[in-house]
Amino acid sequence: MSGFMKKVFTLSLCLMIFTALISGCSKDKNVISEVGGTDENTPITFTYWSADTTAGQLDDGYKSPVSQKIKELTGVTLEKEFAIGDPREKLSFMAASGEYPDFIYALEYSNIIVDAGGFLKLDDLIEEYGPNIKKLYGDDLTRLKYSEKDPSIYFLGLPTVNQVKYEPETGFQLQYAVLKELGYPKMETLQDYEDAIKTYMEKYPTIDGKPTVGLSLLADDWRIKISVTNPAVFATGGPDDGEWYYDKNASKAQIHLTRSDEKEYFRWLNHMNDVGLLDPESFFQKYDQYQAKIAEGRVLALADAKWEYVDAEQALVAAGKAERGYGMFPLVLNDSYTYADFRPVGYTGGYGVGISTSCKDPVAAIKFLDWMCSDEAQVLARWGIEGIHYDIVDGKRKFNDETFKSWSQDVDFATRTGIGIYSWPWPGYGQGAVDANGDYYSPVYKQSIIDTYTEPEKETLEAYGAETWKDIYPQEEEFEESPYGVLWQINIPSDTDATVIMQKYDEITAKRIPAAVLAEPKDFDKLWDEYQEELRAIGIEQLEEEFNKLIQGKINLWNKK
Amino acid sequence: MNHPGYKIHKKTFIKTIVKQRYLILMVLPFLIWIIIFKYLPLWGWLMAFQDYRPKAGMGIFDYPFVGLKHFIALFQDPMFYNVMGNTLAMSFMQLIFGFPLPILFAILLNEVKSIKFKKLVQTSTYLPHFVSWVIVAGLFTTLLARDGIVNEMLLLIGAIKEPISFLALPRWFWGICTSAEIWKELGWNSIIFLAAIAGIDPTLYEAAKVDGASRWQSIKHITIPGIISTILVILVLDIGWIISIGFEKQYLLGNSIVQDYSKVLDLYILDYGIKLGRYSFGTAIGIFKSVVSIILLFFANQLAKRWNGQTVI
Repeated sequence: MSGFMKKVFTLSLCLMIFTALISGCSKDKNVISEVGGTDENTPITFTYWSADTTAGQLDDGYKSPVSQKIKELTGVTLEKEFAIGDPREKLSFMAASGEYPDFIYALEYSNIIVDAGGFLKLDDLIEEYGPNIKKLYGDDLTRLKYSEKDPSIYFLGLPTVNQVKYEPETGFQLQYAVLKELGYPKMETLQDYEDAIKTYMEKYPTIDGKPTVGLSLLADDWRIKISVTNPAVFATGGPDDGEWYYDKNASKAQIHLTRSDEKEYFRWLNHMNDVGLLDPESFFQKYDQYQAKIAEGRVLALADAKWEYVDAEQALVAAGKAERGYGMFPLVLNDSYTYADFRPVGYTGGYGVGISTSCKDPVAAIKFLDWMCSDEAQVLARWGIEGIHYDIVDGKRKFNDETFKSWSQDVDFATRTGIGIYSWPWPGYGQGAVDANGDYYSPVYKQSIIDTYTEPEKETLEAYGAETWKDIYPQEEEFEESPYGVLWQINIPSDTDATVIMQKYDEITAKRIPAAVLAEPKDFDKLWDEYQEELRAIGIEQLEEEFNKLIQGKINLWNKK
Repeated sequence: MNHPGYKIHKKTFIKTIVKQRYLILMVLPFLIWIIIFKYLPLWGWLMAFQDYRPKAGMGIFDYPFVGLKHFIALFQDPMFYNVMGNTLAMSFMQLIFGFPLPILFAILLNEVKSIKFKKLVQTSTYLPHFVSWVIVAGLFTTLLARDGIVNEMLLLIGAIKEPISFLALPRWFWGICTSAEIWKELGWNSIIFLAAIAGIDPTLYEAAKVDGASRWQSIKHITIPGIISTILVILVLDIGWIISIGFEKQYLLGNSIVQDYSKVLDLYILDYGIKLGRYSFGTAIGIFKSVVSIILLFFANQLAKRWNGQTVI
C-alpha cells in the first residue's frame, strides 16, 4: 500500500520519541565517573559521531594503516558513524534520547547538544589530563569557551592553530583552456569574466560533441549558499561570514543579501541568464549532476568554493583533460571593491570534537584527545607512517614518490591510507604550522602545493605572473583582523524565534533568488523588492538584532583574560 | 438467571473463542505490537502542550505547560496553509488517478489468456515497487532533464523548439510527482485486486459463458461485483492516509524553484520541527495529522456504508 513507508516512518518516530521519554526520566546521568585513568594501551572502544557527511564518504572504517597505528599506540578503537542528510535531524534525536556517542562532532549545530546538556565540560579535565592540549592551543584556549553566558569548554576547536593560508578558498573559476585560447586576458571584474565566457562559447558551441555550458551554479539544498549567495558578498568586497555582513563603521552585522550592493550582483546574473551564458539547469541540478557535468569538461565557468568542485576536477585530470580544470580569480563587480578571501581572522575555534555525558570513561577519552594533540599523533595523522608513507630527508619529512602521487591525484587517498582522516576535525595544527625543528606538521605548504599543480595550471599562473593562486589575490595586509573570528561559526541558541526566522529566510532565499535571476530583466527590480519585502515580513530585523548581541558577546568573551 | 437469551449469548461467545483459538493466537502478537508502538507512545502527546526542550536530568513532567501555544503558532503560520494545500492536492491527485488504475490493470491482466505473458507483465510491473525513491527520483530527473529522452523525443517530433526544464516548472510538479508514484506502485497495488479476482468462483464465469455473455458483460456483472468490497476497504484505508503522504518523493524530486508546490506537511515537520529542535511544535502537528486522519477515516467509512451498505470499521 502507498501508506506503508509512512507507517515505517511514523513507527520509527514513535520509537525514538518513546525511548526519548523513557530515558528522559532516568536522572543523574551526567555524573562523571571517577573510574577512569586506565593505562595507555588498555584496549578501549569509543563511539564517534560526526555531522560531516563529506568526511563520511572518505572514511576508512578504522581499517587503514594510520587507524591501525593509532590503535596500536593507544589501544583505542573508534567506531565511527557519520550523518546522512541534514545532521540536525539526528542531533535532535540524540538530544531527545539523552543517549550520545562518546565523541561528537556537531559542526555549527553543537548548540543542540550543549543546550540539552549533552557535552561534558572539559575545563577541569584539560587542566588535569591535557598537557598536550594546553600546549597545542596555547593562548587560544580562551577562544574555545562556549559563550559569554556559559564560558566553559565543550569541544576542542578546529585544527587551524597557527594556520598559514596558502591558497584562496573561493573565487570565480574559469577553465585553463578558455584562458589560453583568449591569450590570458585581464581578469579583474565580472565584466572581464563575462566577456571571456561569451567569446569562447561563441567560438566553441560544443565541447566533445556536447553543448558548451557557460557559467554553472549549484543550488542543491544548503549548497545554494556556497555557489549562489556567497559569491554575491565576495564580489562586493565582503569576506566569508556566512549569511552575514559586518559593517565595521556601524559595528553592526546584517544579513548580507539585504545590502543594496548585492542586488547589482544578482542583476548581473540575471543579465547572464538573459544572454544565455548561465547554465539553465543552475537552480535545480543536484550536486552529483553538477559534478558529472564538470567532469565532462564542458562547463567553462564556476562561482564556487574549491572544495565543492575539487573531486570533479581530479576526475578531469585522471581522464587526461587537465586543461579543463579551473583557474580561480578574485573578481569583483567593479573597481571600488576588494576581494576579501584573505581577510585574517585569527584562531576561530568555532566547533570541534567534544566528549558526551554518555561517555563511560571521560578520563580515558580526554587522554585520547590529549594524545591526538601530541606531536606523534599530529605527524601520524598528516604524514602517515615513517618508512611507509614518508621519509626523513635532510631532517625534514617528505612523502615518498608513490604517496605523493597518490596524495595529489587519487580521490580515495584518505580512505586507503588514513592520512587526512584524523587531521580534520580532530584537534591539531593548521597548514603551515611548524614544530620545534622548524618542520611542517602538515604536508600542505607552499612548495608542496606548487608541486601538485598540473601543467596547464602552471602555465596559466606563469602567464599571470604568479607562483600560486594566492599571488593573484589581495593579500592579508590589506585587511584588518576580524575581532570576532568568522560569523558563520556563531551559534544561534535554539530556544529563540531567531532559528525559525533563519529557517524561513533560507527557504525564501532559495525560492526568490532563482526567480529573480531567471526573470526577464525588466521584472528584476520588482522581484528583488518583493524578496526584500518578504524578508522584512518574517522579522529579519529581529534576527539581526539578536545576532548582533551574540557577536558582541563573543567579542567580550575573547577579550576577557 | 431470568434471561435465558443472555446465557445462550455468553455461551456462544466462549464457544466462538474456543473455536477460533488459533486465529486469536495468531492475531495476538500484532495486537501487542500495536499497543506497544502505537498506543503507549501516545502519552508523548503531552509534549505538544509544553515547552519541551531536552535537558539532561529533566523528566517529562518537569517542563512548563503552555496550553495550546504551539497549535496557535501552527495555525498562524502562513507557510502551514501552503504545505496543507500541496499535501491535499497531491493526495487527491493520487487518489483520483492512482486508485482506479491498479483496479483497471488487475482486471485487464485477468483477461490475458497467455499465462507466460501475464506472469511477465505482472513481474515487471511489481519491480519498481522494490526500487528506492532515491533511485526512482534519479531516474525521473534523468528522463526529464534538458538533454533527457523526453525532451529529445519531443524535439524529434517537433512538438517543441527548445528543450523544457520540466523539473523547474512549479505547476508541473504535482503531475510529475503523481506520475512517478503511479509508475512505481501500479503493479504492486494491483496484487490485492488480482487476488480478489482469483477468489471469485470460476463456475460463475462458466455459467455466464454458457448463457452467452460477452467478456465485457462478465467483467461488468461478475468481476467488478466480486471485488467491490475489496475496493471499498482499500479506498477507505487510502482516504485515511490522505494527509500523511510522506515526503520522500517530494523531497527528492523537488528543488528550490518549485518549493511552493513541492513542500508537503511531513517536510514542514522536518524543517520547522525536528531540525530546529522544536519538539513540541512537531508533536502538535503530529496530533493535528492524527485527528484529521481519524475524521477522514470515519467519513470514508460512512460513505462506503451509504454506497454499499457495509462498513469497514
